[in-house]
Formats: sequence, structure tokens, C-alpha cells
Amino acid sequence: MSADVPAVEMHGISKRFGEVAAVDGVDLQIGDGEFFALLGPSGCGKTTTLRMIAGLDIPSEGRLAIFGEEVASWPPDRRPVNTVFQAYALFPHMTVAQNIAFGLQMRGIRGPDADRQVAEATALVQLEGMEHRRPSQLSGGQQQRVALARALVNHPKVLLLDEPLGALDLKLRQEMQVELKALQREVGITFVFVTHDQEEALAMSDRVGVMSEGRLLQVGTPAEVYEHPASRFVADFIGRTNLLEGVTESPSAMRLNAGAVVAAANELPPGSPAALSVRPEQVRLHRRGEAPEGTPCLDGVITDATYLGHAFVYMIAIGPNADAGGSGAGDPAPTITARSETGSTALDAGERVTVSWLPASTTVVAD
Amino acid sequence: MPPLRRAKPAAAQPATSPEPTAPAPMTPAEIAAQRRKRRTGALIASPGALYLLIFFMVPLGLITVYSFATRTSTGRTSLSGWNLNSYERIADDVIVGIIARSAWLAFLTTVLCLVVAYPFAYYLATRPPRLRARLLVLVMIPFWTNGLVRIFAIRFLLGSNGPASALSEAMGFGTFRILFTPTAVVLGMVYGFLTFMVLPLYVALERMDWRLVEAARDLYASGSKAFWRVTVPLTRSGIVAGCVLVFVPSFGSYVVPEILGGAKTLLIGSYVARQFQAARNWPLGAALSVLVIVAMLVAVAINQRNSANAERTPAGMP
Repeated sequence: MSADVPAVEMHGISKRFGEVAAVDGVDLQIGDGEFFALLGPSGCGKTTTLRMIAGLDIPSEGRLAIFGEEVASWPPDRRPVNTVFQAYALFPHMTVAQNIAFGLQMRGIRGPDADRQVAEATALVQLEGMEHRRPSQLSGGQQQRVALARALVNHPKVLLLDEPLGALDLKLRQEMQVELKALQREVGITFVFVTHDQEEALAMSDRVGVMSEGRLLQVGTPAEVYEHPASRFVADFIGRTNLLEGVTESPSAMRLNAGAVVAAANELPPGSPAALSVRPEQVRLHRRGEAPEGTPCLDGVITDATYLGHAFVYMIAIGPNADAGGSGAGDPAPTITARSETGSTALDAGERVTVSWLPASTTVVAD
Repeated sequence: MPPLRRAKPAAAQPATSPEPTAPAPMTPAEIAAQRRKRRTGALIASPGALYLLIFFMVPLGLITVYSFATRTSTGRTSLSGWNLNSYERIADDVIVGIIARSAWLAFLTTVLCLVVAYPFAYYLATRPPRLRARLLVLVMIPFWTNGLVRIFAIRFLLGSNGPASALSEAMGFGTFRILFTPTAVVLGMVYGFLTFMVLPLYVALERMDWRLVEAARDLYASGSKAFWRVTVPLTRSGIVAGCVLVFVPSFGSYVVPEILGGAKTLLIGSYVARQFQAARNWPLGAALSVLVIVAMLVAVAINQRNSANAERTPAGMP
């Protein structure tokens, strides 16, 4: 297959359930061999998008191609894709080996050839010795491996994974993230991965698509999406961020509600309401008045300091009322979150500080 | 397509196996609490237990005792000189024939019920919950109607002056003669016992995890293959329960064959009744009753083992 035929191609894909549009006009191309994550909060339409690729839901409108073939109306059993389901959906009445062999059997592959492929897939996910167990006799992590083997044994052109790590505890999940990524490189199959966990999406995928309310908001590499979020939702959803409200003044500056006019590159018409996204780890803390010249800065008071072991997280009240303890009548002072590595000087709550950041590390986002 | 290669070896996680815990010795307070609980339990159960003892266990015991007694020449039952004569008579060709016919018709009834009920239960279980509740009521209505009335209604339907016959004549197939044949008996029993098949199937299908069917479809199974390989095995507990619940009453059925059957469809239920009434051979009737009860117990045991299996591998995911 030629490199320029995308593994999955969607044009104006929508899916309506009654009046509700679960997916609304999604355009998306996923490249051959790519590890692609569809990221969004629950109910954003990411699972429905995945199910449409699998053929378990039929699009209400739009075009859907898998390696150049129009498949929108094909039943799931004709599509060259397999799915690792959320909660795995292993067949409880079959052994591990029977589960893995199911897809081969359905395509008429039996006998020694099937046995060899099942053994290969079992070894791939390190489940040797478990072949004759029932799914109910396996741990969550093992069930997850069976689900993977059951899909991969068919050499799908695209592997779809619906929150495959969601049911695992944190430690196992982190191990499986690394393993799944290594596995994907080994087998070279296109992975489309659905998750609501932004850290997981950033850690594992080549590219991320962020969805909200049925729409695909932004597609890019993890770094692009994290560093240059295209909208307020993406900025807020991917990682933690400070959204400093304000109004744009020029293509290079913005007036913050907190008082200052700061450098902020943007493409909005002057006078547009917008927010400046500043990541907590980009916020620098200085004793009051010691901020370097020429960087955007705001005065504030530390209201809370949290020790996390590897870092401190500070909450800083900023703006005109900050020095009054952030409890000016009515309007609470806006706060900004800063994060600094331990090893730097620890600051205490109540300390008067100036916060600054590098303009290049921030993004202006509109609503 | 490259072959699937082996990933780097790593230790597999051990399966979760619950640690066997030694029972801790109980404190006197715990023992007293347990005793109180047991006493309350016995008190609550006693009315039902008493009822079953008087009206079920005692007659059952009497039947068993009578089955070893002797029929005198006048048709009375002599409760002395215990013997197995009545059980030996069961091997008579006539009686074996009746038992075989009863079993055969019960088997046909069960199969027909399954074939009719499965698609219907499937339809029911896949409707939206509100419609489901309404349809279930419709299923129950005949069940709540007097059985005798329903069977007489069937007799009217199938009779040579009934609507089925009229329709057949109008279509040029001649008079419709199935009343008083085994066919009529099976039709009547299917109608009478269908609910017993629909309900367990409905329960099994309603508990069914449809994501498993989606998984099968995703793994290249056509709709029908997914049905036979996933849906049917996962609703097996409902299938077995339904079959037992239909077979047992069909086998010992008395009312339906009496009303819809003819001379050639003498079944074991009617034959037992005849022993206690016209033939005045209580020991033989009792022995046959014991046989039917034993057959029922076997069926119940099958059902018990089946539901125990179903608990080990539930329809949904663990």
C-alpha cells in the first residue's frame, strides 16, 4: 500500500441518535502506521467515531474510507479493522485460546495454521500458559492482553482501541502505556485509540485529535496541541493551564483583566475578548519587584503552597485586590497556579510575589 | 503483512486468586447473635414449612407407601404383604408404550415451544424498557386466565365445526381433522406451556451483554454466526431452564390430553388418574406417580446444575 493513502479518511462524518448529534461534521485523516488518539471528555463523540470506523454504528452522513476503500455502508465483519473494546468484551464461555482463535475461525482459517497464529499472538502479549483459562479466571491486565491478542491475530489494517486501559489501576496502566506503544511499533499497524485521559493521549500517540460535543476541535502532535491549543476548551482540557481573561489590543498585545498589558501574539481583531493560556510550569515566581525587565509580569500574593514531592504547586492571587488577601468584597481576585521543581527556594503562603513568563510559551485563545 | 513478532519477555501478572482465610473463632456475643438470627429464620419459615409438610410431604409419603401395597381382587388396597409387583408391571408393553408416547409428545412440545419462544423472547428483550414491560403483561395475560377455559377454546378452534376447519374448507383443503389426535394434544400443550419457555429465555436474553455480539461481529462473524456462536451459548441457562419447565408438566399432563386427545393418545397422566378411579388399582397408580416424580426430580437436578454453571460463567462480563 502506498504511503500517501491514509489508513482512515473521514469527510463530514456525522452521527445523529434521534435529535442528538453525537458526532457532528468530523473531517479527519489518519496516516498508515500512525498511533492516533481521539481525546475528549465522556459524551464528546469519540467512542461513536471509533464505532463508525469499526462499522458498529453507521454514519448519518459523510464519507468514510479505510485505505482508500469507501466502507461507510459495510457491515463490521467485512471491514479490515478490529477493536479492543472498553471492558474487553471477551467471550466468557470460551477459553483464552478460543477467544483468540475466534476471528481466524470466522474467516475459515483452521487447523495447524490457525494454531500457529494463535500461539504467535499469545506469545506476543505474553500469555503463554494461560491458553486454557476462562476470562473470568484472569486479572484485569491479563484480560486486556487477551483482548489485544484476539484483535491483533487477525492482522487488521487498523486496530481500534476504546479506552483499553481505563479499567486498570494506575501502575498497571502506566506499564501498559509503554508496552502498547512498543507493540504498535513492532507490528506497524495503525492504532486509533480513544481515551478521556489527556496524559495517556499525550504519552502514547503520534497525533492527537481533541473532541468536544461531537466536534473535532484540533488535530496535531502532542506538543502542538499542548503548546499551541487552538481554543479555550483545548487549552483547558489538555494539561493544566491558567486562563487569564482579557481583551486583545493589537496583534502582539493584550490587556488582562488583572490590570497589565502584556505581550501576546494573536490573530484576533483588536478588542476581542480572549484568554491568555499560561501553563503552570511556565510561570516564574520572584520576590515582589525582582522580576526581570521586559517580561510580562503581574503582582500577587501566594494563597496556598502544596508540596508534591517532585514539585511545589502555588496558588497566587493576582490583580488589584491581591494584596488585600484576595478577598475583596464581591469579586474574588483571580488566581494563577504556578509549579516549580523542588530544589528551588520554597515560598510560603502570604508571601508577596511577582509572577512572570516568557511570551513565547503562551497562547491566546478565543472562545 | 509482517508476522506478529514476540515482544520483549516480561513476567506475566499472577491471576487474582482470593487468599484462603482461616475462620476466626467467634466471641460469645457473636454466637448469641447467630443463634438469634437462626431462631427468627425458623419462625418466619414455619407456616410455609407446616403447609408443605401436611399437604405435600404426607401425601407424597402415602403415595410411596401405597406403591408397595397389594390390590385385592375386589379393588381394595391391602396395606400388608409389601411387594414390588406394581413396579414390575411398569415394564408391561402397554405401560412402556404409554410412557414412551408421553415422553415423545412432551419432547415435541418442548422443541416447538423453544422454536416459537426464542425469537419472541429475543424480540421482547431487545425492545426499549417501556415497551418491554407492556409486552410482558401481554405474555402473562393467558397465563392468568383459567387453563380449562383456554383448552376448551382450543377444542372449539380445532373442532370439525370450528373456524380452523371452516377456513380449511373454504380454501379447498377439505374438513380439518386434527382434534383428538396427538397433533391436537401437542398444539394444546405448546399453547398451555409457552409462557414457561418465554420467561426464562427472556430473562437470559435480557441479561445478555450485547457488546459480546458486537465483538463477534467485529471479529468477522456474520449476524447468524454471531447468534449461534455467542448469543445461543450465553443464553444456554435460559434454554435449559425453559426446556425443563415445559418438559416436566407436558410429560405428566392430564387436562390437555383429556380434552384434546382421543383414545389413541392415552398419556401417563390420564393413565395414572384411571388407576385411581375406574380401574381401582391404587398401588399401580401410586407406583406410576412415583416414577413421574422421579423423572421430575432428575429434570430439576439438571436445571440446578445448569444454573450453578450459569453462575460460574455469567452472561455478562465478570
